[in-house]
Formats: sequence, structure tokens, C-alpha cells
Amino acid sequence: MLKTEELQINIGPQHPSTHGVFRLMATVDGETVVHLEPVFGYLHRNHEQLGEIWTYLQTITITDRLDYFNSMINEHGYCMTVEKLAGIEVPERAEYIRVIMSELSRILNHAAALGFWLQDMGSWGTTLMFGFRQREMIMDIFESVGGSRMMCNYMRFGGAARDITPNIVEQIQLFLEGFPQFIDDFERLMMDNEILLARSRNVGVLPKELAASYSVSGPVIRASGIPYDIRKAEPYSIYDRFTFDIPVGTVGDVYDRFLVRMEEMRQSHRILQQALEQLPQASGSYINQAYKAASKQQGLRPPAGEAYCRVESPKGELGYYIVSNGGNTAYRYGIRAPSLINLTALNDMCRGYKVADIVVILGSIDIVMGEVDR
Amino acid sequence: MRAMWEFFFGVGWFATLLSYITITTAILISGSLIMMLLTWIERRGLAYMQDRKGPNRVGPFGLLQPVAEAIKTITKEDITPTEADRWVHFLAPVVILASTVAAFAVIPWGNLIPVDINVGVLYIVAISAVHTVGILMAGWASNNKFALLGGMRGVAQAISYEIPQVISLVAIVMLVGSMSVVDVIQHQMDPYGNILSWHIFTPVGLLAFVVFWIASLAEGERPPFDNPEAESELVAGYMTEYGGMKFAVLFLANYLTNFAICAVTAGVFLGGGNGPGSDIPILGTLLSVIYFLAKSLGLFFVMVWIRGVVPRLRTDELMHFAWKFLLPLALVNIFSTSLWIAITRWGAEQGMGVAEALGEPGSIARLAVAWLVTGVINVVAFFVVARINATRGITTYQATPTAV
Amino acid sequence: MTATPEQQTTTQTALRPVGGGGVVVVERKQPRQSYGQGIAKGMGVVIRHFAKSFTTRIDDKSDQVGMFTVEYPEERMELPEAYRNMPILLYDDKTGQELCTSCFQCERICPPKVIHITQAKDPNTGKPVPAAEEFVIEYDSCMSCGLCHEVCPFDAIKMDHFFELSTHDHLSMDRNKAVLDRPISYYQAIAPNLWAAVEANAMKKLQNNIKRRPGNIGVAPHMIGKAQKALPTAGAGGARPAAGARTAAPVAAMGKNMPPEKVERLKSIRAANAAKRGGAVPSAEETLLAASAYTSATASPESGLHTAESDAGLAPSPATTPAPATGPVAAVGQNMAEDKKARLEAIRAAKRAQRGDE
Repeated sequence: MLKTEELQINIGPQHPSTHGVFRLMATVDGETVVHLEPVFGYLHRNHEQLGEIWTYLQTITITDRLDYFNSMINEHGYCMTVEKLAGIEVPERAEYIRVIMSELSRILNHAAALGFWLQDMGSWGTTLMFGFRQREMIMDIFESVGGSRMMCNYMRFGGAARDITPNIVEQIQLFLEGFPQFIDDFERLMMDNEILLARSRNVGVLPKELAASYSVSGPVIRASGIPYDIRKAEPYSIYDRFTFDIPVGTVGDVYDRFLVRMEEMRQSHRILQQALEQLPQASGSYINQAYKAASKQQGLRPPAGEAYCRVESPKGELGYYIVSNGGNTAYRYGIRAPSLINLTALNDMCRGYKVADIVVILGSIDIVMGEVDR
Repeated sequence: MRAMWEFFFGVGWFATLLSYITITTAILISGSLIMMLLTWIERRGLAYMQDRKGPNRVGPFGLLQPVAEAIKTITKEDITPTEADRWVHFLAPVVILASTVAAFAVIPWGNLIPVDINVGVLYIVAISAVHTVGILMAGWASNNKFALLGGMRGVAQAISYEIPQVISLVAIVMLVGSMSVVDVIQHQMDPYGNILSWHIFTPVGLLAFVVFWIASLAEGERPPFDNPEAESELVAGYMTEYGGMKFAVLFLANYLTNFAICAVTAGVFLGGGNGPGSDIPILGTLLSVIYFLAKSLGLFFVMVWIRGVVPRLRTDELMHFAWKFLLPLALVNIFSTSLWIAITRWGAEQGMGVAEALGEPGSIARLAVAWLVTGVINVVAFFVVARINATRGITTYQATPTAV
Repeated sequence: MTATPEQQTTTQTALRPVGGGGVVVVERKQPRQSYGQGIAKGMGVVIRHFAKSFTTRIDDKSDQVGMFTVEYPEERMELPEAYRNMPILLYDDKTGQELCTSCFQCERICPPKVIHITQAKDPNTGKPVPAAEEFVIEYDSCMSCGLCHEVCPFDAIKMDHFFELSTHDHLSMDRNKAVLDRPISYYQAIAPNLWAAVEANAMKKLQNNIKRRPGNIGVAPHMIGKAQKALPTAGAGGARPAAGARTAAPVAAMGKNMPPEKVERLKSIRAANAAKRGGAVPSAEETLLAASAYTSATASPESGLHTAESDAGLAPSPATTPAPATGPVAAVGQNMAEDKKARLEAIRAAKRAQRGDE
């Protein structure tokens, strides 16, 4: 009689597909996962403490480094929180600029995330390159407005650092023109692929109730069938002005997450078209004139109090919590990072599947370690 | 004394040895050159599929990039993990490379054939199976869990896919009536001397080609069957603990295997070096080598093309695919091959009096009927097996049983 | 675990209908009809990209098929005006006057604290002058956030477009004023619109500041020799720059890795020592030599393309290159008794240290 034994495999912290320095302790029986323990903390950079030492303005620069795939949305959430705390009005045009940048950021993130996910699945680079080309074009736009490709540092309290010129609007329109073709190509390349179907259908299932009790958010919870999107559930900025749909899945498996992300890119495209249409009619400036000077922002001293704001980041619900004691730095500063909370459900998603599915499931959650470990 | 002298230094014996040494050297040198060309084709081809340039800095069109990398890998430090089984770890690349190179002994380069043995087809399959042992050695000796998993996967995969591979070749052997590679190629030249005589242009040969090609992709660890070295799961599989020269040898063996697969496929299904003018005495030999290389490299490009599209199959799906899809098809193909032979060649004395009514053995009418019958059988078999697999075969996870 | 009715309702009410649109359920493809045509379709897409890559190139951003690569060292992408890499300092082309007035706004706003400024002093009166005596930015720790250039009220600090900064010499990444200085025309070339928006204001402020700068104070180091004629004549001691440069050089070099207040204290001690020895006034030739050394080292900032070698050479190592514009320390001593001078210097150092501690 042959005796079998459970084997412990340590995946990471240095591993090609752990999306950063992240460690997984997998207990496997043959190739079947019995237990999986995620180990975080290898990329801890003291973000929240730094946010309590630096002034409010300076902290914007490091929110970019949280989830470095969508710095614009991170900034958006942080600025919203401080504006709530200090009672700063945001002009209409600034809101439009913010929404445009946020939605571009969402497309960027999903295009790259799907590419990475398929790369994890073993598709050698093609989808990743197609996704990265979109990312490249969007980063060019970010570079034109913010000055930097990844660490944009573009949003300010009460608006944005500078106005978007007609030139940039044209650039965005050009991108939007070509984008549907990317979706088509991507779909024809991968949607019907038999191997993709075989590998993703009914893999990594997170049932509806379990997803809710883990309080996961973003595409992960929507794929499980719960239409929870902050843009609709608690419309911030000017999201209540746009017509767009929330895609939801039915099974909650990896395949549903893929489909939800594809659909979300289309919806972001829709929002962008509407936003660009309405942008010329928007009143006000790109920034609240009272806070235009950088020295004003630097010397910002919100009244004592606390504020919590959340935005729909491509990964899920991104929340910022700031307590002010009236000084020019935050007294307490905390972040609800969607990647971290989505990652906690990993064990339940992986148990019972094969070792090869771990990386696929992990890729489908779409984590960025900068945000998980902060 | 004189007899002994003649035995050791006699002209016949010595000449044979010399010629074999020359041939072996030629194979080894051209093998490494081919491997360099293949890596170049792979990288540039994939790059262009992905709208980028690929390596184009070293030499013209980046052709010397493999040379630069060879220098780099060879000059790197040779590391053996402390806890590894030193000798096995050292021998594994040797075994893998040796078995791969040995397969080249019977691969015909157009009209040039190193050795023509009468069981050539069997020899190729058998000798390339030896590299499975090397993979297991590499995986086991590395003392690394990833390497072990990769090695195990490699062995399981190689053993499973050998069966459809061999059975699909059986159909061709039945058609040809010989196991010699030269005979197989000659057979495709025989009746008409045109391109349609290639095996791939018969229903039987086409299905055999599909099964053989897919099984060979798995044998050569090409995507979508690159599970033994699945980089996103197992880092580098059984090659994880190899570096420097040993890694270069493994890499070389890998690409040589791929080339051998392409060459065998070109020989067995695409007529080897056959082509217009390949039977002219001296020029024809040159032409046949060119035809052969063009066919093999074209097949390799198809490998690259597939790599640019498909994700990787999971290991259990891989097994399902071999046993539930390829094997039934290969078996059906043997059946239709025998029908083909019966209809085209047999007469009354073999019990095929019906066929005699159609005409002489090998006549157009009999061929047409054979085409029709085997074609229908093979197409129906393909769709039925695919349908069965698609509905309840390959996707294994049906329910969603995750406990809280 | 089963879904209770409460849970069902909460998930439903989580979505209030706002704007337009609602919930769409994504369509799952069933693999029933798959005989490999999915992969075949994908192969079609890929081969189309393969073929197009030989013939077309993506220039139009709305295009999706074709070669996308920009072969970097030979081909370069056009950088947008707003692009920001590392901060540089601007000076006026004609007069060589720097726009920086050492107001310390950038030093204060800098999140990683990599900017270190020393304010210039009038050599005759000892009063602060609106100009920077030394301006050090640690490029290696700079995060390129661009807050310094946003906050600068005099538009003196701007973000460069030059990004090929890699070097084997880590110390050369501490850039001092001589290396940071770029003429306005350089910035105008890389960001014409951005400069046009601020030009009038910046130049007006510069004119006001020049009036308060005696001598060569506030002139870009390598412009000292060249632009003297164009200078508006200021204080009497102005013609003679940078005495005691040699003694002050190590101080400047040390300052790179030290907090500014410590540098100040050190400098005052050194100055006192130097004063005891008797402030040596170098000849005019020596000063010019130092200045020309800087000019050659700065390697035409207009082009914006210095090689790694010249970059490495730019860092003034204590042994070789004397730092100019450290005039006030020694210049103070010209009309004073030695002990008095030392005492004055000590008091000032204490004050500076106090200010730094705040």
C-alpha cells in the first residue's frame, strides 16, 4: 500500500507570479491544495505613519505609491477625504477632470491586470503586450497632464494641479477611438479560447455569501453576483451624471472576474465619452481658486475632526480615514486597501483546486503589493 | 600479427569510423547552429506577433544574440545546490542531451541520411523517450520542491503523450509497410511525384498528423503543454536549480528536441526533402536539404505561432486531453487506415472482391472511394470525440464546493 | 451557509439607481460547441498582428495594429511640456543672474527633504541678500514630485526633461548650484508654453531682486567672468568675488550629507580658523581659473545632454575643485580686527543654527 503525504510548498516571496514580494504557504496533497496561507508584509513602507508626519499636500505624493497601477484614483480618494475634512469646494470642471483621469486609470489597470492574469495562466506575453500598449497610451496622457507616467501627483485639494488643454482632450479622444478595437482583438484572441475556458470556468469560486462575509469588493464581489460599486452605491464626485452599467457575474469563478473586467473597461469607455462631451459645458476652473497656490495647500490646516471617504478603485473599495487635530499634518491616517481585503479570501478560493490554479486565482484577484503591505 | 594490425588499422574499419565521426560532428555542429536559429526565430516571431521588435541589437537583425547568450551562460559559475544529489544533478543534462542528439542519427536531412536503420520510426520514438529519465533525474536531484513537481509532471506528461504519438505513427507505418524513415519518405514520392502524395493530404494522414503534432508539442514541452517548466507556477520546473553551462545544455536539448519533432513531422507527413527537382543527382541533394529545412522551420514557426496564442493547460486537463481525446482519435485512425488499405490495395484474394469492381488496385476510382470513406469516418470521429470532451470531459471542476 | 432573506435585500439595495444604467449580467460562453475554433480565431488575430508588424507602425494613437516599439537610444518619444524629471535652477541668459532668492519654500515643501539652501550675505553689511549662496539637491533621493517647482514664487526652480542620469558615481548625484544652473532659454526650449505663462511675472521679480544683490552674488558661477559687463553696478566690494574659496570648499563638500544647520556651524568654525590665519585674498587670475573650470565642467547646459563622464566630474570633490561664491565669510574680515571678526561669525552661526532648528 502506497502512503501519501502532504507536502508544504513555499511560493514566494521571490516567485515569478506572486505579483510582488508576497509569500504563499501552500499545503498540497499531490497537486491538490489542502490549505493556503498568505503571508503579507514584505513590502511594508510605513505609508500610514508617513502620512501622519508629512503635511497633507506632501502625502498626495505617496498615495501614488500605494497602488502604483492607478495612482490617479488613489489621489482622487485622498483629496476627497481632505476636502471633506477641510470643507473645500471642488469646481465642476475639476470634477470632470478627476473623473476622466479616474476612468482612464481604470482602463489602464484592467488592461494590464488581464494581461498579467493570462500571463500567469501561461499565455506567453501576447495578451500582456496588447494590454500594455493601452497602458502605454494612457500613461502618455498622464504624462502630458501630470508630468509623470506612474506617479502622477496630479490631484490637488480643490481640483487638479493644472488644466487639461484642448491638445490633451484630443489625445484622449484619439485613444477612445482606438480602444474598442483593442477590446475586439482581445475578445477574439481569448474569449473563445478552449484552454482559457477549461482553465477558468468553475475555478476559484467564491460564493455570494462568502464574498459578502469576507467584505471583498471590486470585480471580485461583482463576479460573485453582488452589484456593489461605490460609483452607484454611494455616488461620489459627479458619477451620478453618467449612464453606465455595473457588470455582475453569476458563478463567482475566475472566468466571471475576467468577463466583469472586460465589461468594466467598456463601461469606463462609455463614461469617458460622456465626460468628454460634457466637459466644455462644465463651469468653474480646474481648481478652487482659493487653494490655487501650492503654498496654500502646503499650509492647509483642516479643523479638528475626522473624515472617511471611499472611491471605487479598480481593485475594489478604496477608503481613506483621516483624523485631524487642527495641525498641518494628519493626526491619524488609515487606509482601507481593497487588495489586502480581497486577498484574505484567497484560502477559501484556492482550497480544493490544483497548484496550477493558485496563480490563476491570485491573478484574478488582481493585487498590487504596494497597496497590500503599504 | 598482420591480421591484428588490419583489424585495428585496416582501411575499411577505419574509414567507417572516420565517416561516422565526421557525420556526428556535422550533426552536433549543425544542431547547435539550428538551435541558435530556432531561438532567434522564436523570439523575433513572438515579438512581431506582439507588435514589438524583439532582440535586434547584436549582429544583423539580432542574429548573433544567441551567440552572446551562449557566451554568457557558458562563462557563468556552475552552481550545484549543497543539498542536491551531485552526480545525478550533473548527469541529468547529459542524459537529456544525449538522448536528443541520438535521435538525430536517423533523421533524414533531405536526401542525406546519417544512418538508415529499418526500424527508424520506432527508434526515434524510443530514444526520445529516454529523455524522460533525464527530466526525472533533474527534478529529483535538485532537491527542490518546484523541481520535483516539474520533473514528475514532465514524466507523467511524456509517458501519456507517447501513446497517441506512437499510435498515430502506426497508421503511417501501416500505409508505408516499413518502419524505415527513408521508406516513409520514398512512399510519399512514389505514385504521382507531386505534392498531393504527401501523407498529410490524405484523410488518414491528416488525422495522424494532427494527433502526432499535438502529442509532439507535449513531448517537446511546448506551449500549451509546457507544464514541466511552467514558469508562472513552478518557476522553471525541473530546470529551477540549474544555471550556467548545465542550463545551457538543457536549453540546447530542449530546442534540439523541438527541431527533431519538426524534422520528423516534416519527414513523415510532409514528404521530407521531396519537392520539385529533388531527384536530380547532385543539385537535387542540395535542393532537398533546402526543402527539408524550409518545411522543418515552417513547422517550428507554427509552434511559435501556437505559443503566441494559447495559455497553458492544467496538468489534469493535460492528461484528460491525451487519454480522452488524442488516444480515441488515434485508434479510430488506425481503423480508417486499414479501410484505406483494404479499399485501395486489396483484391479478391484478401476478401475485397467488392473493391475489385471499382478498378485495379491504386486506380483513381478506388482512391476516391477510400478518400470518401476514411474522410467521413475521421471527421465524424473528430467531432464526436470533441463534443464528448467539451461537454463533460476536459473541464473537471463541475460544482462549487468551498466550505467556509 | 445559505443566503438569508436579509442578505438578499441588502445586496439589492446596495445599488441605488442613479444616473442612467443598471446592472448587466455578463454572458458566459458555454464550451459545448468548441472544436478548436476559439484557438483558431486567436491564431488569426495573432498572425494579422505579425504580418502588419512588418509593414505598419503605430504612430496614430487610435491605431491598434502595427509595430509599437520606439527604439530608444536612436528614436526618442517627444516629451510633453509638463514632463518632470529632476529639478533645475534657472538664471537669466544675459546677466547670468539666478532667479532663486533663497526663500526656502522649496526646501520646506520637499517631501523627502533633499533640497538644502544657504542664503547669500552681503559681504559688506553682512545682511542677507535675496540670492542663494549654495543650493544642493540630492538627486538620488529626489522623488520627482514637482512640488518644489509648483511652490516656487519666483519660478526659479523648474523640472528638467533630461532623464539619462545614470552614473557609477553616487556622490555626483548630489548636485550643487553650479551643476543645477540652466539658462532660461534652455527651459524655454523644452517648455515654451509653461514658461510663457509665467515669464512676465518671473522677470519682473528678478529685476527687483537684482537691485538688492551686490556684486556677483546671485550670478550663476560659470557666468561670473562672462557676464560682468552686463551687471548693474551695485556695492563697492562687488567687483572682487569669492575670497577664501579654498578654505570653504571642503565645507560645501561636507554639506552634502549633513543637515544644513550642522553645515552652518561647521562653516562658522572653519571661517573662524581661517580668519585667525588671516584671510588670504586670491588673485583675480585664480578666481577666473576657478570660474572657467566650472564653465567647462558644466558642458553646455543648453544641449541638456551631458555624458555620464562629465556628470561624474561635476561633483566638486574637496581636493580638486574650489567652490566659488563663498565670499562673505572671508570678505567680512577685510575691514575688521581678527578676534572681532571671529566673534561676529560665531554669533551669526548660532543664529543660523537657531533658525535651522525651528
